[in-house]
Amino acid sequence: MQRNQSQQKIVQSESQSSQKKQKGRGYTTYLDVAIAIGVFLGVWQLVFDLKVYPSFLLPSPAIAFSRLLTLAENGSLGLAVGATLGRLVAGFTISVISGTIVGLLMSNFRRFGKTMSSFCLGLQSFPSIAWVPFAILIIGLNNYGLLFVMVISSVFSMMISTYNSVRNIPPIYLKVAKNMGVRRVSLLRSVMLPASMPQMVTALRQTWSFSWHALIGAEMIFGISVGLGELLYYGSEFSEMNQVIATMIVIFVIGFVADRLVFQRLEDSVRSKRGLMSQFTN
Amino acid sequence: MMNEKFDKILEVDKLRKSHLNHDGANKEDLVVIDDVSFDVQEGEFVTIIGPSGCGKSTLLSIIAGLESYDSGDIVVKGHRIGPTGPDIVIIFQEESLFPWLTVEENVEFGLKQKGIPKEERKRIAREYIELVELTAFAQSRVHQLSGGMKQRVAIARGLALNPRILLMDEPFGALDARTRQILQNEVQEIHEKTKKTILFVTHDVREAVSLGDRVIVFTSRPARIKQQYIVDMQRPRDSEDPALIGIINSIMREIKEETTLDAEKSKPTENSPVRITV
Repeated sequence: MQRNQSQQKIVQSESQSSQKKQKGRGYTTYLDVAIAIGVFLGVWQLVFDLKVYPSFLLPSPAIAFSRLLTLAENGSLGLAVGATLGRLVAGFTISVISGTIVGLLMSNFRRFGKTMSSFCLGLQSFPSIAWVPFAILIIGLNNYGLLFVMVISSVFSMMISTYNSVRNIPPIYLKVAKNMGVRRVSLLRSVMLPASMPQMVTALRQTWSFSWHALIGAEMIFGISVGLGELLYYGSEFSEMNQVIATMIVIFVIGFVADRLVFQRLEDSVRSKRGLMSQFTN
Repeated sequence: MMNEKFDKILEVDKLRKSHLNHDGANKEDLVVIDDVSFDVQEGEFVTIIGPSGCGKSTLLSIIAGLESYDSGDIVVKGHRIGPTGPDIVIIFQEESLFPWLTVEENVEFGLKQKGIPKEERKRIAREYIELVELTAFAQSRVHQLSGGMKQRVAIARGLALNPRILLMDEPFGALDARTRQILQNEVQEIHEKTKKTILFVTHDVREAVSLGDRVIVFTSRPARIKQQYIVDMQRPRDSEDPALIGIINSIMREIKEETTLDAEKSKPTENSPVRITV
């Protein structure tokens, strides 16, 4: 009895201190980000004030933000963000689902897995922009073409991450499950997926980031469908630096929010449950 | 303890197992278990001991249905072992709890797979968590537990399935001496309470003798049965008891003999290091 109580105390104090640490960590992250943004804006304003570049080439932060407001007010920003995010979510979903299925097949059929994994590695390092001409010619200058570029640029990363995370499941979990009479489908759902979850969440984050990069690049080259890439493209065509910078700010914010507030949160919650260190915050 | 009135629950008959050994260019058949036959009675606590790497763990894996074997028979309560079910549960030395589940969910895991309704599952899980004295930790995450507590949860998870036979593969091998002592006592208590048939592999002679109703001593690879000892003594056993020490000493001699024999056998090749474990 005494042993139990003292052990319980230890566990409680451990979990309390880890909670405190996490809270503190989150706070400093936001503070750090605020400082970083402040410093960045300060340097920008300084370069503007020193007139290193003429003001039509490098507007001040205030001018850029007012352009951002105009874009938001006349509705073109909302339209562009909506279109881009819609494509992003669609492409990401297709990549995740098909990548996971193929990745699972790869881990299940050894020869297929071996062949596909080297193939995937090659395709994963293939620059996404280089798919654009192919997509335009074979599919056309439309949303499907964009979707194709996005999926082909991110699906291989999802495949190979799924394959690797399943292969990295400690064999002891599978042995225990097998001994308890767990069969194939149930094994996948109740052991393999949860066991590979920490790596899978990282894979989601990476797939998201690959899709995002590919999409903006492709939108710029396509230049015809409404979207953030199109705003950038026309900003550059008409030497509208205000619009270019305003759009860049929006692209930064979307990337930041998705990565930090969605994927990192997800990753941290999955990892902390298992007592794993957070990979990115500390 | 061993008595004729008990029923045979497990019969291992002329079991043989070999691995195909890829040793550079030449493949050879490496016999791991050779002609092993023994019976286990219902409710008996049998410990298996032998030199490191002699194939005792392989034997347990085979009985658990995790590995195949070349020839022979394994009969559980009159049935040859078929596809594994929760009838024979194995507990490993390594940490085997699922880190994504709480203690309670881990213990419930096998029951859930069997399709037992939630309320019933919770009740059984609570009962076995209490048996291993971890009620206060039912909602804890695995990473918050110490090594000994993790093994206790693994035992609870195995027992919750109400297996016919509980296999334990050096379950306390990775624990410190004091924790090991505590868990040895706990396993004895559990055996007294539940009357489970336990087959327990260890390389610690003292552990084998103080736990088992019967100790089976294996030869070094390939594993054959060298000797069996019946330890007909009341539990908890006094580790200073001269009879107990007598058995320990004679088993130690046997194992030393095996390891020296093994050393002589492998002298010319010099590529298989011999570890003396006693």
